[in-house]
Amino acid sequence: MKNGKLMVAPAMLWLSIFFVIPLLIVVAVSFAGRTPYGQIIFEFTTDNYLRFLEPLYLQIFADTLIVAVITTVATIIMGYPLAYFIARLPKKWQQPGLILVMIPFWINFLIRSYAWVIILRTQGVVNTLLMKLGLIDQPLQMLYNDAAVMLGMIYALLPFMVLPIYVSIEQLDLRLLEAASDLGASPLTAFRKITLPLTMPGIAAGTILVFISSLGMFVVPDVMGGAKSALIGNLIQNQFLAARDWPFGSALSIVLAVMSLVLIILYYRALQSQEGGKADAKDVA
Amino acid sequence: MKKLLVFLVSVLTMALLAAGCGGDADKKDAAAGEQQVLNLFSWADNFDPEVIAEFEKQYNCKVNYDVFANNEELLAKIQAGGAQYDLIQPSDYMVATMLKLDLLEKMNMDNIPNAKNLVSTLQAPVYDPTGDHSLVYTWGITGIAYNKNYVKDVPDSWEDLWNPEYAGRLILLNDSRETIGMALKKNGFSNNSTDPAEVEKAFQDLKALAPNVLAFDTDTIKQKFIAEEAWIGTMWTGDASYTLKDNPNIGFVVPKEGATIWADTFAIPKGAKHKELAEKFINFIYDPQISAKNYEYIGYNDPNEKAQEFHSDEFKNDPMLKIGMENIDKGEWLIDIGEALPMYDRYWTELKTAK
Repeated sequence: MKNGKLMVAPAMLWLSIFFVIPLLIVVAVSFAGRTPYGQIIFEFTTDNYLRFLEPLYLQIFADTLIVAVITTVATIIMGYPLAYFIARLPKKWQQPGLILVMIPFWINFLIRSYAWVIILRTQGVVNTLLMKLGLIDQPLQMLYNDAAVMLGMIYALLPFMVLPIYVSIEQLDLRLLEAASDLGASPLTAFRKITLPLTMPGIAAGTILVFISSLGMFVVPDVMGGAKSALIGNLIQNQFLAARDWPFGSALSIVLAVMSLVLIILYYRALQSQEGGKADAKDVA
Repeated sequence: MKKLLVFLVSVLTMALLAAGCGGDADKKDAAAGEQQVLNLFSWADNFDPEVIAEFEKQYNCKVNYDVFANNEELLAKIQAGGAQYDLIQPSDYMVATMLKLDLLEKMNMDNIPNAKNLVSTLQAPVYDPTGDHSLVYTWGITGIAYNKNYVKDVPDSWEDLWNPEYAGRLILLNDSRETIGMALKKNGFSNNSTDPAEVEKAFQDLKALAPNVLAFDTDTIKQKFIAEEAWIGTMWTGDASYTLKDNPNIGFVVPKEGATIWADTFAIPKGAKHKELAEKFINFIYDPQISAKNYEYIGYNDPNEKAQEFHSDEFKNDPMLKIGMENIDKGEWLIDIGEALPMYDRYWTELKTAK
């Protein structure tokens, strides 16, 4: 037991130096004031949080939530069939299938965003092709609008939905489906009554990952949205890099972090209540 | 199963975080021996590497070239302990801020005799009235860039950006001071206005401009013009010169109402360990022949009067750089507006949320 604690020490030290302390600094700054030249004054104030409650910033927060919800729903709709397909491939093809989903991560996300710009812009790949084929005579404006932002978000986050769902489908006990079929359930009923509920934890895990990641996203609105709309990530970035208002930027970050934490807690609660009891034995094994 | 999921969640979150933050390159330790080191902190690609190599050879020293992406990052690093750098390149308004925060050393002009080669208009500018804490390195003006294929009437006023013919084809700089400053200029106000009524008017005008705006952009504005996504927009002279080389249809004007002039400077942070070497470097860069070579490489207006005779005809006749030079008197510097900055930021945020 004693040795066990010792072995955890490096990790604990690492986490406290590089995670806990910086986080505490952000919390401290979020309650501080600032001079016109951006220097932080440590006098306790809740102004930064009160400012967040102004309609202007609440509106940005609401816009961000809407984008996050749409992204999450779209990645579920697109990711579930893909995950199902990979999980039902012959064993030797599953690994390559997963690697294909992961390969985009080998390239920096910023570069992939610019690649989309090259594909979609007025003289881009798609427009040139459509014009050459004579399908259109004016280039389509596909970039720098809300649809382009959604496209970029869904593209960026789809793998984070596919992988957890894949895991839950892959571990699904096929005998349950056979039993359902033997008892006369149609494939659709079997899916609805067995597959879907049993893979719910995978969907929930993917939802958490995608939802939280899209809340903090600021590259996509800038590059593909033409910086015309602001999400909360852009607002935070702006406080640090242009407005010289670190306290307000910190307060916004804390609000975002608390939101994410609440979601994760809800997720584990739901997971526990669903798996509690009936699946315990399986988990231990 | 639950464990596996928890594991996946953690791993993927880590992957996301890792993708989000790029690490600073390790700073090399001072080279061994008596060889001196000049720690330069600047914008990317801001010098001809051959010129730096030449300086290293002549002065038997090593130049460590670190880069920052914007003035606020520079300010944060200098405030956290500037002494690790010997020479920095803040923009005009950042020089003013750093002076107010007492972050800059007074330069010893005896070590920089070549400083007098600078064009007189750029000596002792408004952000550094005594002119001994900073020296102009690159400068330019913000004007209107347009594509002659689509924009038939040569623009001469900021007002022309509001022409409904350019719906969805206009680019504005993604910078609150530049863009709000432009709208202030359009109305005949100073681009440093702190009068709430004037800034409000500028904001309302920008809001009305929304249907024309294709995008707000600073870093890739050149590509958007080269690929003809944009027809018209606000652009810096240096970028205009770059764009023209890849798309011959680009025109550039400095509107009659006047425009924002800007500069990146040389400055020495308080407590710099190799101050004298930094001054020698500045002097070296302002040497007429060295400066001619250096500015031809970086493609900005050379502020060095004595260097003009060493420049190639191609450089001297670059239409964009010429326009900059001819309109230098129409420019107004952005100065630090201090307590009015939050007001600008608020309007800027509002502009971005307006639907």
